[in-house]
Amino acid sequence: MVNPLYLIIISLMAGFVLPLLDRVNRKLSLATFIGVLLANTVITGFWMHGFIQADLGTLSFSTAGFTAPLSINFQLGILEAFVLLAINLIGLLTGIYLLKKFNESPLAGMILFIMVVMGANGLILTRDLFNAFVFMEILSISTIAIITLKRTNESLSSGFKYMLASGIASIFFLLGVVFIYFFSGSLNLDFININFTDYRLIAVYMVAIALLIELKMFPVNGWALDVYESTDAGVATIISVINSTAIAFMFYKIMPLLPSNFLYIFGIIGALTYLMSNLMGLKQENARRLLGYSSIGQMGLLLASIIFTAGLEPVLRIMIVGGFFLNHLIAKTGLFWISGLIKKEKLKDWRVIRSNKSLMIMFGIFIFALSGFPPFAGFWAKWEFVKSLLAGQNILIIALILLGSLFEVIYMFRWFIQTVKGEYKEDELSIMPSGKVILTTLLGTLGFGLGILIMKNYYGFNFLFTLPILSLLFIYLIDFLPAKIKGIMSLGGLAYYGYYLYTLVQFENPIQILFGVIFLVGSGVNLISTLNRSEISKGFYGLLMMMIFSFGSLLIARSYLEFFLSWELMTIASFLLILRGKNAQKASLMYMIFSIAGAYLMMVGFGFAPELIGSSALITGLTYVQLPLISIILLALGFMIKSGVLGVHVWLPEAHAEAEADVSSFISAILLKAGIWGFLLVAISVVWNAPQFDVYYWMGWLGVFTALVGAFLASFQEDAKRLLAYSSMSQVGYIIAAISMLSHLGWVSAFYLSLNHMMFKSALFIAIAGVYYRTHTRNMYEMGGLIKKMPLSFISVLISIIAVSGVPPLSGFGSKWLMYSSFIERGWYLQAAVLFFASAVSFLYLYRLIHTIFLGQAKYEHKDVKEAPVWFIIPQYIFIGAIMVLSTFPNLLIKPLSAMASQYFNSNIVIDGYNVYSSYGHWNGNLIMLVTMGVFIVPLFFLILFIGKITKVKQFNIVYAAERPESPQTTHVAHNMYAHYRKALGGWGKPRIWDFWHGSAEWAHTMGDFFRRIYSGNGQTYLLHIILFFVVVFFLGV
Amino acid sequence: MINKLLIIIGIIGMLLILLPILVNFQSPTNLSALAEEYVRGSVNDLKSPNVVTSVVVTYRGLDTLGEVTVLFLATLGVGFLLENKKNKSTQRTVSENIRTTSSFLVSLIMVLGIYIFTHGHLSPGGGFQGGVVIASGFLLLILSDLDFKISHAILRFVESISGLVYVLIGLIGLVLTIGFLNPAILPLGKYGDLFSAGAIPLIYSLIGLKVGSELTNIIATMGSDRSSESVVKEER
Amino acid sequence: MIETLILGFILLLIGLYAMLSQKNIIKIILGFSIADTGVHIIIVSLGYLKGRRAPILDSAVDIANSVKEVVDPIPSALVLTAIVIGLATTALMLVFAAELHKRKASFSIDDYKELKW
Repeated sequence: MVNPLYLIIISLMAGFVLPLLDRVNRKLSLATFIGVLLANTVITGFWMHGFIQADLGTLSFSTAGFTAPLSINFQLGILEAFVLLAINLIGLLTGIYLLKKFNESPLAGMILFIMVVMGANGLILTRDLFNAFVFMEILSISTIAIITLKRTNESLSSGFKYMLASGIASIFFLLGVVFIYFFSGSLNLDFININFTDYRLIAVYMVAIALLIELKMFPVNGWALDVYESTDAGVATIISVINSTAIAFMFYKIMPLLPSNFLYIFGIIGALTYLMSNLMGLKQENARRLLGYSSIGQMGLLLASIIFTAGLEPVLRIMIVGGFFLNHLIAKTGLFWISGLIKKEKLKDWRVIRSNKSLMIMFGIFIFALSGFPPFAGFWAKWEFVKSLLAGQNILIIALILLGSLFEVIYMFRWFIQTVKGEYKEDELSIMPSGKVILTTLLGTLGFGLGILIMKNYYGFNFLFTLPILSLLFIYLIDFLPAKIKGIMSLGGLAYYGYYLYTLVQFENPIQILFGVIFLVGSGVNLISTLNRSEISKGFYGLLMMMIFSFGSLLIARSYLEFFLSWELMTIASFLLILRGKNAQKASLMYMIFSIAGAYLMMVGFGFAPELIGSSALITGLTYVQLPLISIILLALGFMIKSGVLGVHVWLPEAHAEAEADVSSFISAILLKAGIWGFLLVAISVVWNAPQFDVYYWMGWLGVFTALVGAFLASFQEDAKRLLAYSSMSQVGYIIAAISMLSHLGWVSAFYLSLNHMMFKSALFIAIAGVYYRTHTRNMYEMGGLIKKMPLSFISVLISIIAVSGVPPLSGFGSKWLMYSSFIERGWYLQAAVLFFASAVSFLYLYRLIHTIFLGQAKYEHKDVKEAPVWFIIPQYIFIGAIMVLSTFPNLLIKPLSAMASQYFNSNIVIDGYNVYSSYGHWNGNLIMLVTMGVFIVPLFFLILFIGKITKVKQFNIVYAAERPESPQTTHVAHNMYAHYRKALGGWGKPRIWDFWHGSAEWAHTMGDFFRRIYSGNGQTYLLHIILFFVVVFFLGV
Repeated sequence: MINKLLIIIGIIGMLLILLPILVNFQSPTNLSALAEEYVRGSVNDLKSPNVVTSVVVTYRGLDTLGEVTVLFLATLGVGFLLENKKNKSTQRTVSENIRTTSSFLVSLIMVLGIYIFTHGHLSPGGGFQGGVVIASGFLLLILSDLDFKISHAILRFVESISGLVYVLIGLIGLVLTIGFLNPAILPLGKYGDLFSAGAIPLIYSLIGLKVGSELTNIIATMGSDRSSESVVKEER
Repeated sequence: MIETLILGFILLLIGLYAMLSQKNIIKIILGFSIADTGVHIIIVSLGYLKGRRAPILDSAVDIANSVKEVVDPIPSALVLTAIVIGLATTALMLVFAAELHKRKASFSIDDYKELKW
């Protein structure tokens, strides 16, 4: 093992010799500069390799021929090797990144850079406290000097502010160290063995506070923000990554000296820093400063994780702290580098990134990594951290961290969406491919690879769980192919995947097969409609397959983590799919925020859940565990967010409306069912291990009101897709209510409705997609009379809405019949009444769908409209066919569904031939079908006979007071059709929930804006913060 | 107003936090075990009468190397910040007294400086102190002689070479596997001699040169930087 | 020695107070210098043992019994390093001040808050 002193020696020699070399040739000094950084990286790399190969424990290297505590010693263990390798690698890459800049600047820049890295290395290695002080000074002085590499008024003044703050910090550190020596008689961390109690406390307290200041904890970090904003991008990188890491590591080293009550307070400060800086980040418009806020936040998170994982086993601790560390390291380095390439300050100026495809993908990777999505290291770290915090009952910390994380996601994704979707003119300044772009790409790939490595090696995930990611990558590689080829390949892949799951994985429970049909067969049929895409549709199929394979993984997940991983992958894919819509910025952001909030609820919910026994699928495993009430509530809430239950439904209409036409049907018909699937899993665990409090009674009510409100809202929409979206919300309400009944009949009807809804809602959305494709409008009042132009679409919509509304003869009737029976059986009379009312309301919007779009007179603009393309017609008719078959022979379905539900409840329906008997009567689908057919055929016959006598009127022959209305359609009855109902609703018609969420968002922004005012920009105020922080925290702790 | 109040609260708070140390302070009656070992070791292992020097150069040699580095960085930072801003305009005159005294004091100061750092292991003083004395000599020169221009190239050369040799001396110990910065690479000699205590005098001399040249460099850089005044004048 | 220790603390607090209350950058730096000096005095005071000599074992000290005769050499060694580092910091601060003054012709810290929030 190479003596770690060489890291210091090489850097120092280079530092001393560079002024001489530079006299000879600048190229020579540049080569030396890179050589030193490379040597550092290679040496640390060898250490890491050595420690992985063999368990060498921790090695001590002393100086001057004496052993510690007489002389200063360095300690090298796997932890040190890991951190050193990481920061030296970033040092090397950032050195390369800055090479051009250094070539043009005075030599001092290079030397200072080497010294920053050396200071960090020394601080990490040394075990001597005073030596740590010296290295800390080297680190801060060289950092401060290199800030002025970019010479502006701002960078100078921010450098000075930094200097003042770090001056005070170094006074604290020095005094603390000397007191430690005075009390304990040693400066070496390994030989200090007294307790720092009562008046001795101040010694370690001063050292710790100095480190917290240097770590830029809230609120003593105003200077750091200024520095991040004003200095060169490369320099910001090394401050954010190398400098901060070394100090965090130093804090880790002094932790054993600190009393536990203070450690707890410091941990809270860390979590609070994470929360506050992300809250304040909400208001930022300057990209560099935003990154500063984010960096500071990440350091807070790192500090909290270092402190609160203290009791864990080492491997897990490395997973958590190391995960956060690597995530921050890679994502923040990448983002800072990109900020250097953009050369513009405002967040919205980042859209020039679109001129460089690979840079844009890397930007996405860094954003997703920073937001803690799989497969990046931060995801695993957050999962394990929340779990371990829960085990330690640290609810406050979890709340702070998850809330902070939510804020981070909000501004990160707002930025992301703004960047990839904002207005962008080609002639704007573009980013040329360059070495820096290649470096950034390399870094992003590294981060991605590391994530996959953790996934494969630490958790040992099955191939099936990596499939969503692999499919995305694979399809990205063949993305140059035409859409149809990719579509057909996807269809083939999906077919094989379904076959593979069915034959090889062996479902444990028939309910899995039911949802397999909804998820996979449903997706397969829906996929046909995407074949209509004529352009290349870059990225579309990759994301689509990622989403579909994630559905598959949800079915077979055997542990909470497998489930959560698949869930998050599904969220990524669906978010990006929604984002593809033309005006989907706001919709996709809302979707993301609600999804993340739901995911955090689930994460905590899973954290509370007891360990599963054995390795069977969740649907089996969950039956045998007793979920605590809090876990049930959190999980159910998380899933209900994804299904758009009342209160958290606001994302749903936006996302459905703004997504691309063929994507909406996936979201509505299938994605919502993923929420249902999760909700069902929770319910299954409750069947045999019911909690004391009957929470499902209230969830039932929630479902009922979702159904009612959804139906009302759907009636008031002008946009056909929004109408269908609210209709989906309403239908999901029925399903939630039915599952919440926890009865045999209830579940049969829930299953039945889930499958049915998938089919008719797909058909409807695809039909509307066809109409939109031809008419280019989603506003129903701009359509009309399309029955003659698009008869096939009309028939499919007609049949679908009959199925939805639950009138005979179609399957919807069966599901309604089952549902009311089950409500009455369960004794939920009031609920049944409300649902019945909701059904009545749903006629309103369903009628509108037919009336406004297909009936009436055709608009002039639509005179040349043709039938929807064949790719839209095929899937519709597959679904329609299935609905017809299942309506005629309902027992084909009812029988297996009943069997599924009777695993958990005693069956109380009897199936005999074409009849289904429940205690409240029977239903013979076949007979109903025949009767209704007869009833329909007679009027049809009359209609055909008298069709010639219809007289035509001009639709818009109205003139108001000699004035032609601007848009004549809006005067037609089809516009704002149910205005009178809306009036009748009075105050209930107000979008209260919408207002609530808007209010919350605004409130958060106002809070963020309020708090960031403490950063007055005055260096002296920052000093005052430091002194008050020192005093207040001390008295808090005592 | 509120600001003033907060400042006073802060300072009083600091006072309250620090007070227990004063209240509980008991002057120690014995050296700590570590200090005892240093005192013994300085005589027996290093043959250096000045224990502080032994600690600074040998036992805590890494600190000293770091300290030299900090000074080096400060020099670098000063030069980096003030670079290319040289301006010749000076209206300053030098009094006769300074000119006369400095002409004979400078050489004495230099000799004193050299004495201090070469005898660092025997008597109070050492590389830093010697270096500072030498730099003060140069300061006097700069103050007294308006035409005095010290060559930055030479300063930088001295600085670089002395730093480099310092690290190399340390490196020899590491290569010989007796430890980085172990002064025993040279014979320890007789206790109390000028040439004793191994490489300590050598190291201290190098530090003296390095510190002297660095501080001189800082002073010279700051001294030659008069552009600020002229800029201000232009603005007015 | 308690007296010098008190002196050190007083200097430290005076220095901090100056840093917080003075608007002039140069005075703030002076404040830092005073506080730093206070710290140095505290360090040396902590190492002082009553009635003992400097840790230089020349002919005036009984070498065999040296550990009973000299003060703690460690704080002296530390303070040496600390002084040099303080010097370096102060030098750099002054250069920053000069450079800032060059740009805005002002030494008031209130004039340098372009960046905030």
